[in-house]
Amino acid sequence: MLGGFVRRSWIPVGILWLAYTVLLMWLISQFSWLPAEWSTEAGVVDEAMVLLQYLGAPVMALVVAVMTWAVIGWRSSGATREDGPPQRDNRTIVTTWLVITSALAIFVVINPGFVGLAEIRGEPNADYVISMHAQQFFWTVTYPNGAEGADELVIPSETRVRYDVNSKDVTHSFWIPAFRIKIDAVPGLVTQAYATAEREGTRDDDVNLRVQCAELCGAGHANMSIPIRVVSEEEFNQYIDDLLAENEQKNAPPPDAPPGDAPPEAPPGDASPDVPSDG
Amino acid sequence: MTVTTAPTNPDPVTRPRARRPFRWVLRGLLLAIVGYLAGAFITVALRGGSPSDEVAVVFGYIFALIGWLAGVGGIEAFGRQWIGKKPQVSEDPSWGRYFAFCVDHKVIGIQYGVTLISVLLIGGISAMIMRIELASPGVGVVDLDDFNKIVSMHGILMVAVAVAGVIGAFGNYVVPIQVGAADMAFPRINALAYWLLPPVAVGLLSAPLLGSFNAGWTSYAPLSTVNDSGQILFNLAIITFGLVSILGAINILVTTITMRAPGMTWGRLPIFTWAAFATSLLAFTVTQFFAGALVLVTMDRVAGTSFFSPDVGTGLLYEHIFWFYSHPAVYIMVLPGFGVILELTTTFARKPLFAYKAVVAALLAIVGLSVVVWAHHMFTSGMANFLHGPFMILTEAISIPTGIIFLSLIGTLWQGSLWFRTPLIIAFGWLFNFLIGGITGIFLADVATDIHLHDTYFVVAHFHYTIVGGAIFALLAAVFYWFPKITGRMYNETAGKVFAVWVTLAFNATFIPLFWAGMNGMNRRIGDYPPAYATANRIASISALILGTSFLLFVGNLLYSAIWGPKAGGNPWNARTLEWLVSSPPPTHNFLSQPVVVGHPYDYGIEGSVHAVFADVSAHDDGEPPPEPDEREEALV
Repeated sequence: MLGGFVRRSWIPVGILWLAYTVLLMWLISQFSWLPAEWSTEAGVVDEAMVLLQYLGAPVMALVVAVMTWAVIGWRSSGATREDGPPQRDNRTIVTTWLVITSALAIFVVINPGFVGLAEIRGEPNADYVISMHAQQFFWTVTYPNGAEGADELVIPSETRVRYDVNSKDVTHSFWIPAFRIKIDAVPGLVTQAYATAEREGTRDDDVNLRVQCAELCGAGHANMSIPIRVVSEEEFNQYIDDLLAENEQKNAPPPDAPPGDAPPEAPPGDASPDVPSDG
Repeated sequence: MTVTTAPTNPDPVTRPRARRPFRWVLRGLLLAIVGYLAGAFITVALRGGSPSDEVAVVFGYIFALIGWLAGVGGIEAFGRQWIGKKPQVSEDPSWGRYFAFCVDHKVIGIQYGVTLISVLLIGGISAMIMRIELASPGVGVVDLDDFNKIVSMHGILMVAVAVAGVIGAFGNYVVPIQVGAADMAFPRINALAYWLLPPVAVGLLSAPLLGSFNAGWTSYAPLSTVNDSGQILFNLAIITFGLVSILGAINILVTTITMRAPGMTWGRLPIFTWAAFATSLLAFTVTQFFAGALVLVTMDRVAGTSFFSPDVGTGLLYEHIFWFYSHPAVYIMVLPGFGVILELTTTFARKPLFAYKAVVAALLAIVGLSVVVWAHHMFTSGMANFLHGPFMILTEAISIPTGIIFLSLIGTLWQGSLWFRTPLIIAFGWLFNFLIGGITGIFLADVATDIHLHDTYFVVAHFHYTIVGGAIFALLAAVFYWFPKITGRMYNETAGKVFAVWVTLAFNATFIPLFWAGMNGMNRRIGDYPPAYATANRIASISALILGTSFLLFVGNLLYSAIWGPKAGGNPWNARTLEWLVSSPPPTHNFLSQPVVVGHPYDYGIEGSVHAVFADVSAHDDGEPPPEPDEREEALV
């Protein structure tokens, strides 16, 4: 069916293809280039990345196998200048190729494509809502109780958090490499991203536990990054309460107020309109 | 009587000495300066302010552009006609024609080639500065904002080279000869398009005078509406560059459609011409979107409009319009590359191009699909979620026609009689690089993985594999492949082979570590990074310097060989397309007698097959009809 066209070279190319595929798959299984996962979303993304690596391996192996055998088996001495076999087309091969590549494309669209898309997007619900305000070249964090911080992002472990992201000036992007989530901060829009941190940790544990601006935003773009501290839910609530008190102390007019004693007017937490009631 | 090789020039042409070769360029520069000052000072006179205000720069630039075009030869080529006189173009036979308003497509092709390779080298130097800065974490040789400006300059210079390199240099030089025409359909427009290119380079490179531009080659608004004034020169230069692209595309389209030699059916069109045709179709259709987006940005800066004001969330609008050009632009860059690689693979494999019709269908399918995938650059942009699915499907779909190109290359190489000259070695490098570019592209087409990888070094590595791997490697291969045709002399083969291997290995050593850096959390366009990424960057920087050095060998080989290389003869590769059947370099009007195409261009190994014959002029006078075209070949379209 395929004629003499394929006959003479398919065995060496086939062996090379198989060998390269096995080699590549072994390399993929042994050496992960992926950084540590700190969120459930990271698991989804990494699973897709590994699957795509395995799918890419035989494709890569095929072309490299042909290239290898071309150098070994099809090299002609420049002196003879003979033409190769006059094979111009082969309907069977072209059709087979089209079917296989289309099937691969459809497979990738379904999984990890739509499967991953559904998993990473998840349900539009969250235990906490944290607002991230981007501005050249720093981040301001507004916690559910209205407390504001700028030096770090503190988040509760094992709870689903929605990040409402916006920008005051130019387009920035909110990226947490350890969580594999990213959403642009577009001036005039509020964009959203969801993530569930899986365990406690800080930027000292992993450089990827940081909020990084990922869209070129001007001179200070490279340094537009704040560290993340993932803590237990209790610690988180304690932190935002303390932060709120600190905010109020800062905002209170210093001469009139007696230092330290004044109780907050409303207990923090109750007056937090941002917390979704349905969880 | 017919012959299968073209009659050659009776005597080798002896070129006269050039007389005042730079007078046109100098007149153009003078009128450009006069125009700039006139535009700027009229603006100042009418509205006050300073001549370095952006409004004054805009009007100055417009007048300067007109002055430049008039000065380099536009007055003679177009202006004379408007007052009822016969237009004149440069007929200078000396090397001075390369600095004149010459309408010969071969001269224009060389002008594009030399200009864009110069720009490539300047862009390469900016890359070296970036890699030196990134060799270690912390701020070193350039500060963070200067780094962003160098990134932006590098990006746009290299995009210009990739967009216009192969199609400008070889589309112009080769397409008219391959279709059997004496010149382009609109020779004066062709010269005009080229002479618009130097202002693009000068405009971009003079942007540092106004504080340069730091918004990347993408120039996302609103940043590009509020940054330093160099951005205005970026906008003006790139709008001009769009004009270059569109005018060039019109010429290639019309030439291919209307000026094919007798017997040159669509089904016999050489594959490089098909690729140039597909590219031009795309460039002609989408280029105005980028120009339009930049007009809006310019209006925001100088006319007080608020298309991209931060309050209204239209940053997304810019991204949509921008990518509506700039994704197809990726194919404007690589389709000519496909053409070059297919063309030379069939020559050096000594085999017919495998699945020619499927390849043509694939090229046209890519043209169609490429305009409906733009939003895959925007999966994290905050656009509506329901758009993610369709753009993912369409993006994955484009891998199918691209796969056909790979199939054709594999099928053409299969059991060929491979002649490993420099162009074929570079083509192997191209095949490997573009393969990596394609496979890593799947990671960016998939929404889940793209959300993490978007705007990281993974993307940087990916698009360098597709654009450098796909377009620049093809440009290098094309330079070596057509060098003997263009100069009439052979390059040094050993130096060529050393360069081919060197550039491929150094390129891979530079960019493979950057995939790792991107996956592990290093974002792009930063002059400083956390120490965790130091090792990958150190490897990339050292390799990049080795990569950059390889171009000394490239340029040295070409310059030396163009002057002292051995004579190449008309057809050193024993190839079959029409450009190889005429002398090297070809005569002024390409063919001394009318070529008549009688068969497929790639029938290597088929007994007695002939692509074209030349009807002797005297034979026509005798009343002998040209030979019947071979009817086995049906037109494809």
